Amino acid sequence: MKIARIAPWAAFGLALAASLLAVVPPRPAPFDLDAFGRLPVLEGGRVKPVDSVARNSLLMIRGTQSFAYGGRNLTADAWLLDVMFRPEVADQQPIFVIDDPDVLALAGLKQSSERRFSFARLAPYVAEIERQAHAAQPVDSRSRTRFQSAVLTLFDRLYLYFRLRNTAQPDGSRLAAEIQARSAPGAAERQRALAQLAYFRPVPPLAGQPADAWKNVGEALRAASPDPYLQGLARLGQSYAAADAAGFNRTAAELGAMVRDRLPAAVTQAGHEVLFNRSQPFYLGMVLYVLALLVLFASWLWWPDVLRSTAFGLLAAGAVVHTAGLVSRIVLQGRPPVTNLYSSAVFVGWVAVILGVVLERIYRRGFATGVAAASGFATLIVAHHLASDGDTMEMMRAVLDSNFWLATHVTTITIGYGATFLAGAIAIVWTLRNQLARTMDPGTTKALGSMTYGVICFALLFSFVGTVLGGIWADQSWGRFWGWDPKENGALLIVLWNAIILHARWGGYARERGIMAMAIFGNVITSLSWFGVNMLGVGLHSYGFMDKAFYALSAFVASQLLLVALALLPRRFWAGRAAREAGAGPGDAARAAASK
Amino acid sequence: MIDRWLSRAWDAITSLKLTIVLLALLMVLVVGCTLAQVEMGTFGAVKAFMRSFFVWWAVPGTGWEIAILPGGALVGLVLAVNLLAAQGRRLELSWKKSGLWIAHAGLILLIAGEFVSAVFQIDTRMAIEEGQTVNYVESPREMELVVKDVTDPRYDDVYGVSESLLSRGGTIPVPGTPLSLRVKAYLQNADLRMRGPQDPPGPATMGVGTGVLLAPLPPVTSDDDINRSAALVEPVAGGQSYGTWLVSNALGAPQSFIHEGRTYVLSMRSRRIYLPYSLTLKKFSHDVYAGTDIPKNFSSLVHLSNRSTGEERDVLIYMNQPLRYDGKTFYQASFGKGDTLSILQVVQNPGWLLPYVACALVTLGLVVHFAITMRRGPRRGAVLEA
Repeated sequence: MKIARIAPWAAFGLALAASLLAVVPPRPAPFDLDAFGRLPVLEGGRVKPVDSVARNSLLMIRGTQSFAYGGRNLTADAWLLDVMFRPEVADQQPIFVIDDPDVLALAGLKQSSERRFSFARLAPYVAEIERQAHAAQPVDSRSRTRFQSAVLTLFDRLYLYFRLRNTAQPDGSRLAAEIQARSAPGAAERQRALAQLAYFRPVPPLAGQPADAWKNVGEALRAASPDPYLQGLARLGQSYAAADAAGFNRTAAELGAMVRDRLPAAVTQAGHEVLFNRSQPFYLGMVLYVLALLVLFASWLWWPDVLRSTAFGLLAAGAVVHTAGLVSRIVLQGRPPVTNLYSSAVFVGWVAVILGVVLERIYRRGFATGVAAASGFATLIVAHHLASDGDTMEMMRAVLDSNFWLATHVTTITIGYGATFLAGAIAIVWTLRNQLARTMDPGTTKALGSMTYGVICFALLFSFVGTVLGGIWADQSWGRFWGWDPKENGALLIVLWNAIILHARWGGYARERGIMAMAIFGNVITSLSWFGVNMLGVGLHSYGFMDKAFYALSAFVASQLLLVALALLPRRFWAGRAAREAGAGPGDAARAAASK
Repeated sequence: MIDRWLSRAWDAITSLKLTIVLLALLMVLVVGCTLAQVEMGTFGAVKAFMRSFFVWWAVPGTGWEIAILPGGALVGLVLAVNLLAAQGRRLELSWKKSGLWIAHAGLILLIAGEFVSAVFQIDTRMAIEEGQTVNYVESPREMELVVKDVTDPRYDDVYGVSESLLSRGGTIPVPGTPLSLRVKAYLQNADLRMRGPQDPPGPATMGVGTGVLLAPLPPVTSDDDINRSAALVEPVAGGQSYGTWLVSNALGAPQSFIHEGRTYVLSMRSRRIYLPYSLTLKKFSHDVYAGTDIPKNFSSLVHLSNRSTGEERDVLIYMNQPLRYDGKTFYQASFGKGDTLSILQVVQNPGWLLPYVACALVTLGLVVHFAITMRRGPRRGAVLEA
């Protein structure tokens, strides 16, 4: 009994302590990559640490934030340094994934166990890849063939790599040499090319210039007297290429001091973002949720009380880490939590987890822990896949640039999504329990029922309020309250469905089994209105079109329909005999009698 | 007997089952309307599914149309009746149910608001170039035939003939002039094609229309297209005919004729509604985030001038910040011509406040209801059982 009291706190504390380890900066060995990663740059309209650019670029190109090659463990920062200042080394690193056999053939390759190829390997075929990509570009993204999508993706990645390589210095030249020869014949041409290709702007504005007057290297080279910051960058590149760690570390520190003089706020902000990048709170949260689930499963076999409360402790730790990540994003971006599809996934998961924690405190049966951990894990996985498009803190388009409405409408509607999913998840637990559990105590069954009902009420309230606030926003910005736009319709469907469930329950048309099946179907409706409408590609809300997600979404819908069918199975198909005895209502008894 | 029927009908109209069926039908319609937008455009899909009493399906190859579903208007109407009737019959008037009363009243208001919008909302637009002063709004979905007296270089006299008059045909006198227009044909949407040497002569006998052949087309449904309307008219004055002219918004060249020393120009354009005040675009701004082409904001600095009230003031219209004036709302909608042209969407909807009130009511009602049911649960764990 005593252990059961201590266990959750111990698990909670240990998990948090372990999470804190992720924040500790790495020791400089031998290059101080952290100092480099903290340097702010301007990319995508916002000032961010170069570490974010490196991570997002590597994520877009290779799908990971680090990799090992040639006996080195390359972090994103080390990789970016290679690309910028040692292109001959970076060109040999296999980072481009090619799976499509036709694209492989295009590059003169055969399908083998090798999936990743270096830029040097692909270089002779770049012209042909570009030609094919340009041919595929005008085709509507929904009607592209597999080859066309694959070749476009590959070309986009090659082009991004090429731009990164041409951000600090032109092909075959060094930045220091470019500064030296900045008014030599032919230099203007190279500077123009650099300015055009540069992926980000590393040179901060001088004191007295507007805060967004960052320059790319090509532009900075045109100045009459070279900016000392540009010269610092050149020294940084030189010492990196010459493997002079001491020189590199000294220059990185100088550059940091220089930019701190010019834009102190940007340096602080970039430092926070590096911390956020390094700690990867959503990845940590995912790990904690999985641990909580595993411990909960174990609790059904051994020490139920101790392990169940341990699982809750882990869930709570996950919730804290998840919340910390969410709050960091809000602070870093200066925006409410949901600004794009990625952050909506993170937030939906957070809502489900927090509601789950509350439900577990009320009912204490372990099921809410499981549902919350599974939902949190699943949505963070979804978020992880949505993040591969690049910067997840991109700037808001003019239409969306309203913190007030982002905070009210978007947040509320996303809470509605999260709650609807949670209700569906509880109903899934109810269904699986019927199929798997040998014995079922009626108390838990009842608790699951009332949890589902309560969460649906909550979901109806939030999805309705969110939908309506959206209408009011639309009235403010587009001139109509309601335009039957696909995204609006999706939100309305969730409201209508939740209303139907509640009315069916109040009218007595649906009992436990019916409500559960309907709650699972709510998952289908929510997922379609969340992602499906983005795939239609019509309407004012289609900011993020995605085609790859189509198969994932179809699979999810199919699985949910299967679960609905499973939930609707009559009691005689349930697992345990105890179930029939414990849960059988008068109607079932009558039917059982009639069938005999 | 009649009593029994009446009571049955009353049962049906107040039943919760009907509510659920209607909500489910509404879901089907919403799904249909959403999917149909890919093909028909938002405007067409909304008209077919939501703003109609029945959803019609054209049986292929027969030319027949059969109603396959009740439309949004019918479902909404019955839902409102059901809500009202059920409210009166089943829901007792008590504090315990006050939340539901408020929420349902809000819902009725919400449906009413959508009906008001469907019937009374007028969508127009105003395109102004920098420095230009405009005192009218245009309706891009409607056309009008215009007779302009341009004799005096200082001002034009303009007479518009609406689409509905044109489609009725007959002879239309042009007020303030000795002219009448004999409307020989009016096509809401038409295919205009240059006449080849082998083709038979076109219907027009005067103007650029003599080289053009006409074929009717169904009206456009997509939101981005506009109709190419065409009319064949014969101006008559003092018993004299000036020939048959083809007038269309698809024809660029101006067409004019002279009667008794006065020059009249014929043209087809988006219907204009003149305002008792004018807007002058002083500056249109379109900023992007540094180093990207992601739009940061659009805004139009306009000067509002109203002679009748003596109002003279500058207004900045930008995203999420429209100008509400004279029952109309001016929104920043689009721009063009290298950021010197600003397009404002102008909406007039007398019911624009209804959804705001309705939403406040429903939200309040739901909060009150859930709060009451939660407070009633005496046991822990029964909190959510309501």
